[in-house]
Amino acid sequence: MKTAEPPSPGPSGLIVDRRQLLAGAGALGLALGPMGGLARAEDAPKKGGTLRMGMEGGSASDSLDFRTYTDSIHISYGYQIFNGMVEIAQDGTATGELLESWSTKPGATEWVFDVRKGVTFHSGKTLDADDIIYSLNLHRGETKSPAKDLLSAIADIRKLGPNQVGITLSSGNADLPYNLSDYHVLVVPNGFSDWSKPDGTGAYALETFQPGVKVVTRNTGRYWKPNRAWFDSIEIRYIPDVAARTQALISGQVDAVNRLDPKTVGFVLKSPKVDVVQSKGSGNRFAFVAHCDDPSFASNDTRMALKYGIDRQKIVDTVYKGYASIGNDTLIAPSNPYFVPNTPPHSYDPDRAASLYKKAGSPPLQLQVSEGAFSGATDSAVLFQESLKKAGINLDLKRVSADGYWDNVWLKAPFCAVYWGGRPSVDLQLSQTFFSTANWNDSHWRDPGFDKLVVAARIELDPAKRKSMYAEAQHMIADTGGMICYAVGDYLDGYAKKVKGVVPHPRYDMADQRAAEKAWFA
Amino acid sequence: MILSRIGLGLLTLLVVSIVIFVLTQILPGDTATSVLGQNATPETLAAFRHELGLDRPAALRYLAWLGGVLHGDFGVALTNKQDIVEVLGPRFRNTLFLAGYAALMALPLAVGFGILAAIREGRLTDRLANIVALLAISMPEFFVGYLLILNLSVNHEWFPSLATVGTDTPFGERVWAVTLPAVTLTFLVTAHMLRMTRNSVLSTMSTAYVEMAFLKGLSRARVVTRHALPNAASPVISVIALNLAYLVVGVVVVENVFTYPGVGQYMIDAVSKRDVPVIEACGIVFAGVFITLNTFADVMAIVLNPRLRHPR
Repeated sequence: MKTAEPPSPGPSGLIVDRRQLLAGAGALGLALGPMGGLARAEDAPKKGGTLRMGMEGGSASDSLDFRTYTDSIHISYGYQIFNGMVEIAQDGTATGELLESWSTKPGATEWVFDVRKGVTFHSGKTLDADDIIYSLNLHRGETKSPAKDLLSAIADIRKLGPNQVGITLSSGNADLPYNLSDYHVLVVPNGFSDWSKPDGTGAYALETFQPGVKVVTRNTGRYWKPNRAWFDSIEIRYIPDVAARTQALISGQVDAVNRLDPKTVGFVLKSPKVDVVQSKGSGNRFAFVAHCDDPSFASNDTRMALKYGIDRQKIVDTVYKGYASIGNDTLIAPSNPYFVPNTPPHSYDPDRAASLYKKAGSPPLQLQVSEGAFSGATDSAVLFQESLKKAGINLDLKRVSADGYWDNVWLKAPFCAVYWGGRPSVDLQLSQTFFSTANWNDSHWRDPGFDKLVVAARIELDPAKRKSMYAEAQHMIADTGGMICYAVGDYLDGYAKKVKGVVPHPRYDMADQRAAEKAWFA
Repeated sequence: MILSRIGLGLLTLLVVSIVIFVLTQILPGDTATSVLGQNATPETLAAFRHELGLDRPAALRYLAWLGGVLHGDFGVALTNKQDIVEVLGPRFRNTLFLAGYAALMALPLAVGFGILAAIREGRLTDRLANIVALLAISMPEFFVGYLLILNLSVNHEWFPSLATVGTDTPFGERVWAVTLPAVTLTFLVTAHMLRMTRNSVLSTMSTAYVEMAFLKGLSRARVVTRHALPNAASPVISVIALNLAYLVVGVVVVENVFTYPGVGQYMIDAVSKRDVPVIEACGIVFAGVFITLNTFADVMAIVLNPRLRHPR
């Protein structure tokens, strides 16, 4: 096995180390296929035990208020205590959660949602339409909620019955259920306001909340989803240091960890007690983003020179040790059904980059970068600089402070590092970042044709037509945009072998951060 | 005399709180921008700031905070509304426990070997003590921490690599869990105290009355412990106080490596989220530790030194 090539995941996403597999097969005299891990998900689930999760992605400042969630630990305890309105299924489609089902009319502005019946909060209250309306309104009007933009098209919410809600949009959107699957859009009872005593419909009720140290929840024993919530209790331990986290897993002090380091996954795989679950091509999108209205980047030739002048494969191999896919500048993940594989990937071509850069008049280039943007940003930038040098292009690297990066550098510096998380629908992925009027249009790329196309695709209910529209939109971004998205990271989770029922999910790691309700102990 | 010292200490705390507040205002960004991060939009920032009261003038916010503190109320964290004293209390006890544990190992080691090195100046014991201590202090603490984890919790599963303790952890288990971080800290602080003890004793050794003691025919060990040491104690005590204070306030890297819930990580998280009341509370606790230990060192120096005890 070449060391540069990471072990490939089986159909279950489980990485099987070949040496380990061969040794095991030899000892047992078995012929194993390439899917040694598939049996995991098929073991019959059983109840009991405490799942101890060692996680990164939170701090001592964490709050239970879901309008402040930004990171993995928040999403994990959010989905333990509360339920979402809509769940993203294993195949990436929106499926009913507390909103059981829905229907819309052509134009996708008028929606009717049925609220699930027979669901109770931890306090004993029964879920009804008022709770849904109250919870949605937490993200509307004057609010700090990051989901405000997501739901800004909602013009009106009406109660149609005790278990039915009507929503009117100011402009049509066939993907509204996907917007409602956002991890901020969780459900509390009508009038709820004391966030220190959270009341949700989730499988587990809060027991201990010590942000920065641990969060403990206990199974309520009356969860409404069938075949979920197997553990007696869940314990999240904050372990921000990746070495400490990895070590805690290997030595059995925790049963599950998130965000393994690509550099040490090989070492983790040698442990006989641990499985690694790799979610390919659904992780964070790593990019350098240039302001299209800045003098240096105003010419599309400069932008294209940068796209041809970055050696994506080398960065994926070196910085991410192969645990990433090559990005094609659109932020759409390769695992997405609307991903356009035939967009000409801007593969490394120093000669082409050189001539484009000369054609643009050789403007000065400075990239601002920090590990505060994402882990690996600085190394990637150095490799970017090197690969541009071969094209005779000089890129000035400016290292900036990680502290306050999102406030001081991103959206302000003309050329800087950025990562984007996956969004549940193509529409969100495109419109939150590339729409002319988007708050987070960090490339300052504005194309009225693109805006029109995305709005039209939003209400197009014919899948084939929609697909071709999204394909065109992706071409527009890749060929003229200021986003150089060079890689899409893999999610790497580690589990003790006794943890079953965890498979890669198209959205987030740790089974869409619902490992607490999906997994069980063998 | 004692009253004026306490008054001076309180004044120092007040100045520290003002300096911390001003510094947090100079830092770019505020709680709203740091919590929302990449998700921020101008409207959500404005709503968040209004909710937190960050739209009031800075001086007003400081005075409101100070008023609360004077009534014994350190307030709640801006980010998650948790009561600061309730969160800080257990964490501070953890920090003191780790510092105390490390001091219990480091002090006898440092002072003992320091004196031994002075007695056997230039001989093998002296050289060895010096070399080992310097090696220990030259290694960064995270490196020492990882080495200990590798040897004592990976290769031999004697100690846990996670030192996460809670308020309900029994004493014995707590000692066991905190051993590795405490040993790491011992590596870190021993050298300074050891060399100070050795050198302080040796410098006293070159004085006339020590020569006199030798001329009386006393053994070197007796001269060192009986005549030189009491006079060498004062500078050693200040160095010990400094190192004890360091054990309390400077251990955030060790906390991180071993995932130990101390004050350090709490303060770092608060700084990165610009949670001013929490930063203030941590800063005041740390400043308080420094002031207390320094005062203690001064008092001890007076007690041990007859010339200071009976000023002419």
